[in-house]
Amino acid sequence: MAERELALLNGYLIVGAALVGIGMVGFISRRNLITIFLAAELMLQGVSLSLIAWSRYHNDFGGQVLVLMIIAVAAAEAAIALALVLMLFQRVGSLDVALWQRLREASQPPLVDHELPPESPEPPPVWPKLPPAGVRPTIPREELDFRPHV
Amino acid sequence: MSDVRWLVWIGCALGGLGLWCSLPPRGASSRALGGVLGFSGLGFLGAALPGLADGVSQVVFWILASVTILAAAAAVTFRNPVYCAIWFGLALAGTAGLFLFQGAQFLAVATVVVYAGAILVTFLFILMLAQPSGRARYDRVSVEALVSAASGAILVGVLATTVLSVLASSDARQHALQVPPHERQQAILAEDHVRQIGVHLFTTYLVPVQLVGVLLFVALVGAAVIGARGNRAPENLSAPSGGWTVQKSEEVATPPLGRNHG
Repeated sequence: MAERELALLNGYLIVGAALVGIGMVGFISRRNLITIFLAAELMLQGVSLSLIAWSRYHNDFGGQVLVLMIIAVAAAEAAIALALVLMLFQRVGSLDVALWQRLREASQPPLVDHELPPESPEPPPVWPKLPPAGVRPTIPREELDFRPHV
Repeated sequence: MSDVRWLVWIGCALGGLGLWCSLPPRGASSRALGGVLGFSGLGFLGAALPGLADGVSQVVFWILASVTILAAAAAVTFRNPVYCAIWFGLALAGTAGLFLFQGAQFLAVATVVVYAGAILVTFLFILMLAQPSGRARYDRVSVEALVSAASGAILVGVLATTVLSVLASSDARQHALQVPPHERQQAILAEDHVRQIGVHLFTTYLVPVQLVGVLLFVALVGAAVIGARGNRAPENLSAPSGGWTVQKSEEVATPPLGRNHG
């Protein structure tokens, strides 16, 4: 039984570590404000996973209550941060985080964009081609007389 | 022990490489290669883990864990932010499943309801306002992709080797034996788990719960204030008519927003 608990704890801690690592990579390397924010939420999920695993290992509800607090704090954070993101978007019309690089430290060099290879144009949408089927309905004579537009 | 450590490091290196291959400036074929690399990295990491006792729970754990990690990687690497948000939703579903697998029923439901139901939908609303298609310049590049993927792989490798070596010690086994199984069946894994967590929330943790309630209220008021007043830009911050841009490499180095500082 102890082996099983230890193996569970092991697995959960490593999955949590992987989530935190992936979230960190996204947080550092993406430039879209919303994607950065999603990456931060991923890191919170990783921490929650390890808290749940410890809670079961020690048979203590403290970890689960702390995860509940994390969910509440994440909700509060999402409300504030999305209001801020919306405000920033309305000011500059773009979600690019590099537009706000004036906030960097004075000693840091600015981010300089290099030329990108032009992206291939979007392929035109492919619509399905339906073969004509059925027969044209014959409209009775009196109906044509009555409603000449049919 | 040392061979397990090697497995972990190989897995982390493959995962980091896969993440780097699928971060934005790369094309579709590189993304496919990244997916293969990431999947094999997951396999190496999984081989390093000690197995669970019975096969069914092992398979369930593998499926949940790999869905969670792959969806998280996809959420971080997709170009189109809408796809990012949807993959993030899948990662949330995976974590909710993992919570349920540990017996945390209430938290699994709370994650789905609050995260996937409320927070993710708010994200999608904001995304609809911005109308992204993943073809904007800032979605097509990433900052220091190689360095960040490498640092992520090193972070996960250090954490995983530490966890594995610490939990393989006899101390950890002693600790695990300190909680007899029937006690766990009566508390964390009990049938009335939700009732028990409620009792804990409103007796032991009453003050923190009230504080979190106050925090939520303050955040709500703050978001309303920012939303109501924030878009009235002060005069010295108003955007030029062409909008702000990041400077191109050949331009003279004037900070893009620094024109009001002179």
